[in-house]
This record gives sequence, structure tokens and C-alpha cells, in this order.
Amino acid sequence: MDVGGLIGARVSRVEDVRLLTGRARFVDDVREPGMLEAAILRSPVPHARIVSVDVSKAAALPGVSAVVTGAEVKAAVRGPQPVTWQVIPDMFHPRTYALAVDKVTYPGQGIAAVAAKNRAVAEDALELIDVRYEELPAVSTLEQALAEDAPRLFDEWPSNVLGRTAVRTGDAAAAFAEADVVLSAEFRFPRQMGTPLETRGVVATWDPFTDRLDVWLTTQAPNIAQAAFAEVLGLPVGRIRVRTPDLGGGFGNKFDFYGDEVVACVLSRRTGKPVKLIEDRAESFVATVHSREQKVDIEVAARADGTITGMRGTVYGVLGGALGTAGLSPCWVTAASVTGPYDIAALDMNLVGVATNRTPYGSFRGYGLPKANFVHEHMVELLAKRLGMPAHDIRRRNFIKQFPHQSPVFVFDSGRYEECLDLCLAAVRDAGWERIRQDARARGAAVGIGYSFQNEVTGLGPSRIQTFAGSSHSGFDEEVVRIDSTGHVTVYTGLSAMGQGIHTALAQVAAHTLGVPLDHVTVLSGDTDSSPYSGYGTGASRGAPLGGAAVRTAATRLKAKVLRIAGHILEAAPEDLVITDGVIAVRGVPGRTVTMADIGDAAYRRLGGRLPEDETPTLEEREVYDPVNVATAFGCTAVLAEVDRETGVVTLLGYLIAHDCGTVINPMIVDGQLHGGAAQAIGGALSEELVYDADGRMRTRTFADYLLPSAAEVPPVAISHMATPADHVPGGFKGMGESGVIGGGAAIVNAIVDALPEYDLEITALPITPPRLLALMRKGTGR
Amino acid sequence: MKVSLTVNGEEVSASCEPRRTLADFLRHDLGYTGVHVGCEHGACGSCTVSVDGATARSCCMLAVQAEGCTVTTIEGLASSGELDPLQESFREHHGLQCGFCTPGMLATAHELLRDNPDPTDSEIRAAISGNLCRCTGYQFIVDAIKGAIRPPHDGQQRDGVVEPGAAASSRRK
Ligand code: FES
Ligand code: FES
Repeated sequence: MDVGGLIGARVSRVEDVRLLTGRARFVDDVREPGMLEAAILRSPVPHARIVSVDVSKAAALPGVSAVVTGAEVKAAVRGPQPVTWQVIPDMFHPRTYALAVDKVTYPGQGIAAVAAKNRAVAEDALELIDVRYEELPAVSTLEQALAEDAPRLFDEWPSNVLGRTAVRTGDAAAAFAEADVVLSAEFRFPRQMGTPLETRGVVATWDPFTDRLDVWLTTQAPNIAQAAFAEVLGLPVGRIRVRTPDLGGGFGNKFDFYGDEVVACVLSRRTGKPVKLIEDRAESFVATVHSREQKVDIEVAARADGTITGMRGTVYGVLGGALGTAGLSPCWVTAASVTGPYDIAALDMNLVGVATNRTPYGSFRGYGLPKANFVHEHMVELLAKRLGMPAHDIRRRNFIKQFPHQSPVFVFDSGRYEECLDLCLAAVRDAGWERIRQDARARGAAVGIGYSFQNEVTGLGPSRIQTFAGSSHSGFDEEVVRIDSTGHVTVYTGLSAMGQGIHTALAQVAAHTLGVPLDHVTVLSGDTDSSPYSGYGTGASRGAPLGGAAVRTAATRLKAKVLRIAGHILEAAPEDLVITDGVIAVRGVPGRTVTMADIGDAAYRRLGGRLPEDETPTLEEREVYDPVNVATAFGCTAVLAEVDRETGVVTLLGYLIAHDCGTVINPMIVDGQLHGGAAQAIGGALSEELVYDADGRMRTRTFADYLLPSAAEVPPVAISHMATPADHVPGGFKGMGESGVIGGGAAIVNAIVDALPEYDLEITALPITPPRLLALMRKGTGR
Repeated sequence: MKVSLTVNGEEVSASCEPRRTLADFLRHDLGYTGVHVGCEHGACGSCTVSVDGATARSCCMLAVQAEGCTVTTIEGLASSGELDPLQESFREHHGLQCGFCTPGMLATAHELLRDNPDPTDSEIRAAISGNLCRCTGYQFIVDAIKGAIRPPHDGQQRDGVVEPGAAASSRRK
């Protein structure tokens, strides 16, 4: 990579001015002529047979255009909601439709929907719908679902266990038989969600005459949504246009495909009008996918010198009353990644998918990795304690040192874990944390430092891996780079812009590669009618490594064509030309130049004599990039925390991340992603939890219940970078959009444990709220 | 019913139902879609606008309550193609990602800097603690607000630490 260019430059984002001046367009800002607004009636009960749904009063309300029930939606579509990831082929995948048909399997499941002249009237109409439920016993927790006499969620399947599989490598039985030390622990991870500040929404126009479907959708994966609409509605893909407006955050929650968007389409078809359906905040807590909830039982086998020789255990994925598009795959990722950055020869992890009467499980930044990280970093600390060794010695001894490394599932391409740990320790030293901790302890305050080390598979993915792992969608990405007749550049991408700065990043790669100023590049996305095809969309930390690599390659080819045309005009060999700031010059011959605008003119307009005979007009290159491997990023998080022994309140005083995501395109964007991920890790560790009551009903309804961290809870965060490029990725980029959220939970908990040495705490359940911490402290002292 | 008010210096009026919130009125009846609605119950701050010189959560106000008021939304901050210093600083310091919280953050930050022209980091954090941002982790928002009052610092990383006790936070639960 050439140094000093735009790749690696801390430039301001091209997205910002529109957003800062209120000129962006989010889905609720979309207004189509004649548009109706819809609302969905959702079940308050977790488990019930639907005896009857009477919509006659609602349909008669002035201003109401259409009311549909679950049975009507089922009759209007061709198939059930798709489950994109089927990691266990013989798992039971219940067929569920956009609205409940005769049975409710989770609170919040849609029962009926109304389209009216505005949302207020639609909500009024919902109150007039009369639903009679015959309630069934709720199966709300993992324990209830696994109980011997548990009520079953699905009449057509004999158990609430929908499927089992295992991730195995090496000889775990032998490792445990020969171990000097065996340690075990049981972890509980709560239900949490991404809560993008903008809720989900859709504006659907399904023209009954042309049978064309035009959808504005808050989606991170427009091509997957397009394919899902085709499958569910029975339309050819080419007749479906998915447009993505500005997204107010995604965090995985907008990756999945929801029944709500199908309902909007059916209502549009029925009324012949555009239909807008925007989730409100209260319903988002039941209608948007939940994540994280798992029980993980783990055992670790080790030698007396601290070498970890084996891991075994079980991941229970606490699924909902229907399968989301992600199916069980986030839990599979936990099982597959539980060895983390460590070279552990034997693994035997069972994976069990269990249905409960809760909201479907789905994607959330980090996917299965935050749980895997919490587990291995907890076990490292536990082993250190048992052996009386520093935890970092255990880390160093077990780090993967040779790359590429075959992990239980993935091949890790590259890494320098010890250096990254050292970088983090140096940052902690420079920040003087040791002194702060000492001084605090001298005052009697409880201050501790905690660490976690993470590695992460990014840039999903080779399509062959995705197909092998049960995905019905591929992992390639296609981008187009075009130079127009004025010499300016347009990059077309199928990735979604959701706040992560993808337009800026791709513009930097294109401008750097072509040698043009950044403000000569425009990035366009968000319309399946004109955007290239993204096999997997914007998830799995793939924007930079897939989109960046494809733009890099396409722009490199395009630059070669530019140089050939310039060489022809300047009567020089292309190898002798250089492009700087959009001006092509003959090296060492001052004054012999043409501009990118001249080349644009020669390729589109005044061709004669200037475009070489053997060149086709236009300046455009298209690259379809399917990586040969995933790209492995890694990092180390350090947290300085203070605990109030009286109240159990944890205050974070400092947060440091050393991180390596290969070649960095824009360090400012990377830092921002890490900061934001860290804040989500903080919420996940300390306060965020979706709570069901004893009857299985959802209690969490507002941001006063679901506590996102505010600026008062998030401490200053500082980042140290190192760069180990992914050699197999053009440009060397690795993904990092999910990085910040992965290691935070373990580091925070380790800091809490370190702050309270006298209690000898073992924290294996999150979030660690003040009452829970106090309870553990009381247990620790036997008080 | 008809509601008349001044928005970003312009006198406007439109009719709406009595139950219409100011947020919906500004967004849907008057077209100020720069006002964002993240929760509709006063908890996230994204709908914050300035009403008669003080910040207000427009989701918690009825449109009729704003009769005769002077309202400033995010659309009214920049003039003739120039960002105001705070907007410029948000851009320079990467104080926004998705931009959904940004209208409320800017309104709150404007009020802070008017009332306290030289706030400390913890004063800034306290001032914006009623505005949720799910993207940025707040660090660069704090930097952006600081940057709007002083010449931008040299881009050096901060040391990532605050004194114990100094950050004693009031959790909302
Ligand atoms: S929308 Fe008004 S405070 Fe959240
Ligand atoms: S920038 Fe997305 S919520 Fe703040």
C-alpha cells in the first residue's frame, strides 16, 4: 500500500453534512402519494390458541381502509417466513407466518393489522379488534422448556428442543483424562437487543395492476430482503425494488427479515395504496429480534504449567417462539468460537436449540462472540487463580502464535496477539492506572483493573463456508466504480449505510486507488434497482473487507484503462504516467498532462482520435469479490472500574482498547466504531436486560426499563492501533464494526472482581446490576 | 384545529388534531423531518428542539401548546450553506454516526454552551446525559462540544481515564 494517501487518512465523513443539517431521509420521512399508515395488534399473552378474531368493528371505523388477520395474510402469501441460517440440517424449523395463524407462541406476536388514513386512526382501530385467546401454560424460561413434563410449543414436534449438534476437534476425552487441573463454570447471558435509536420501518407499494413491489425498508441486507419478499410473496426478484433510506443505526437488528414488512405489502396489495408501517418504541421490545440469551456450561482441562489442553461443554440457545432469519446461528458461533485466541487442541461443545415463549432470537452486533469471549476470558482468570499464576501468563502461554491457524471451524489468517496485549498494557501503564488503583485502595476505595483479549472472524465470508454452515445466502460482494464524462467518480455498492461511514470508507479507497481528490467521489447505495448485488449485505463486519476489497480491485483495473487512454493522448507509455489529484502526468516531464476530465471526455463524448481503437467507450469496472478466507481481527480491552461497596454501583473510570483490524481506511471511523461498541458492551454488562414476568409476559416497554448507557455512564475511551493486514484481502482490510462490543463484558467483570479482592467474587451472569452485585458480595462474605 | 408558530424564523401554521404531538406536527404537518422521534415518551432526547429559547422534548408536548411559540429545529442552525460552529465541530470530531440522535444533541449542546460557555468534560457529559446515542459511545460528542468552544486540539488521543469519584454517576435506576 502506498503511504500518505487517502487509505489511512483521518478525514471527515461525506455523510455528515446532510445529517447535521436535517436533510437526511429516514424511513419515517418517506411520504408516498395516497399513503396509508398501518399498525399491528400484538398478543399480550405468551402462549395461547386463538379462538376467534373479530375485526368487524375495526373495519367499520371511519378512516380505516383494510384490516387483515393472520389467516388472511397466510392465504395471501406463498410461503412462511424464511429462516436464512439453518446450521443444523435436521433441526425442526417451525413454519411461521407474518402474523399468528391459530396459535400464539410469544408475547408481541402479531395477530391482525390495520391500514388507515393515519397511524392514530390505525391504533384506534386496533382497540376495536376482539381476540379471544385460550391461554396455554407459558414456557418462558430455559428450565421450563426443558422440564420433563414441559408444555410443548409446537404440536408437530415432540419436544421444545428443536435441534442439537456439536462442534468438535481433537480428542477432548483424552485431554480431560490426562489433565492436571479441570475447572468448570456455568454462565447465564440475558436477553438483550440492539435498540437502534430509529426503530424499524417499511413503506410498501404493491401495485395490483403491474404486480410490481416497491419497498422502502430499514434493512442492512437489501438483497436478502428482496429474495425473502420473492420467496414469501411469490414474486420474481426482478419485480421487487428495495430501497434503503438513511438508517438510524442497525446493530444487526435491521439485518433480519421480519413478518411486519410482509404485512405492509399485503395491506398495500389489498388497498391498492402505499402503506407505511413504523414500529413504535414500546412494540420494538417485543417485535424486533432479541439476542444474547444463552446458558453455557463449560469445563476446561489444563496442565499444571497453565497450558489449556481441552474445553468441553454445552451452549443452550434460548430461542423464541418462532425462528428468526438467523435461526440458531448466533449460538453456533458461540460454540464454534469458545476457544477464542487460544490454541486449544481439543474441543467438544454441544449446541442445543431450545424454543421458549419469547420473541425470536436474531442478530445483534457481535453475534455469538461476546458470550464466547466472556466464557474464555473468565476461564483464563479462573485457571490463573487456581494455579497462582498471573492471568496474562496464561494468555501468553496459550495464545495462537502460528498463522494461518486452523481453529475448530475457521482458519485464522493472521495475528500478533502478544504484541497486542503488550500494546494494551503499555496504554494502561501510560494512563497510570496502577497508581490510581493503589491510591484508591489506600483510601479504602474499591478500584480494579480488568482485561479481556479477543479475536474475531470478520469479512464473512467465503461463500463456500456460508453454504457449508447452512446459510441460504452467499458471502460475495459486488461493487462498481465508474468515472463519468467530467472525470468524477461514482462508486455503486449494495452495502447499506447505517451510520458506520461506509460511503466515506469506500470513497477513500476509490480516491486513493485512482489518485483523485476525495470530493470527486460519490458513493451510491440503497436501491436494488441500481445497486450491485451484495450476497450477504451489511453484517458480519464485512463492509470494509468485502466492499473495500472489491472497490480496490475495480478501481485498480479502471486506473489501468485511464492510463492507457492517457498514454494514447500524451503519446507516452502507461507505465510512465502518474495520477495525482486527478491530473495525469508523464513522470519527469513537467507540463505534459491531461486531467481526469479529459479522459472522461475522451471515453464518453469526443472519442475520435483520443480513445484508442481497441478500447471500449465508457469508464466502468465491476468487481465481484468472494474472499478465499475470513479475515481475523483482534484486540485487547482494559477497564478501570470503581465499585461502591454500599450500593453495588459500578462506575467505569477508564476504558482502553488496543486493536488490530489490518489496514485501516479511516482511523477516526474505526475509533468511533470501537467507542460505540464499547458503550454497548457497557450496557450489556451493567444494565441492559429484557425482562419477562413470572407469567411470561414482557415487562420491558420503555427506555426507562431498558437502560442504555448515557454519557454519564460511559467513561472516556481511548484506542491504540496496530495493523496486521489480511494478505488475502485486496487492500489488507479486516472488519471491525462489531469489535468494540465483544471484549467489554469480560473486561468490566474482571475489573469488578479485581476491585473487590476480599470477596473472591465469581461473576458468571450478566448484567451485573447493583442489587445482583450486592447479593454476590453478601454471598462472598457469608453475610 | 389550527396551530400557528414561528419555526426557524418563519411564521407557519397548519391544522391538526388536538392529540397531535409537537414532534409529529413539526415532522408530518410542517415538514421539519430533521426532528427525530426515538421513543415517544421523553426518554431518548432525539426529538429535542428549542422552544422559546429553552430545550423541550417535542414528543412530550402537544402541538397546541406551542401556539405562538418560537421553535428552532436542526434545519434552522445552518444558514446560507454554512454549518454553524457546533455542526462544524461535530463533523470534525466525528460526533455522529447514524445521525439519529444528532438533532437533539445539537439542541442540547447549544443550550449548554449558551448557559455555560466553558464547560468541563463532566459538565458536558452531565448536560447530554438525557440524550441517548446508541452509536458513538459519546466520546466524540464530548470532544465535538469541547471543540466548538476552543480551538480544536491537536488530535492527540486523551489518556482514557478520569479520577475515581469524579465520574460518580447518577444511574437512572
Ligand atoms: S422521542 Fe422524545 S424523548 Fe425520545
Ligand atoms: S449517532 Fe446514531 S444514535 Fe447517535
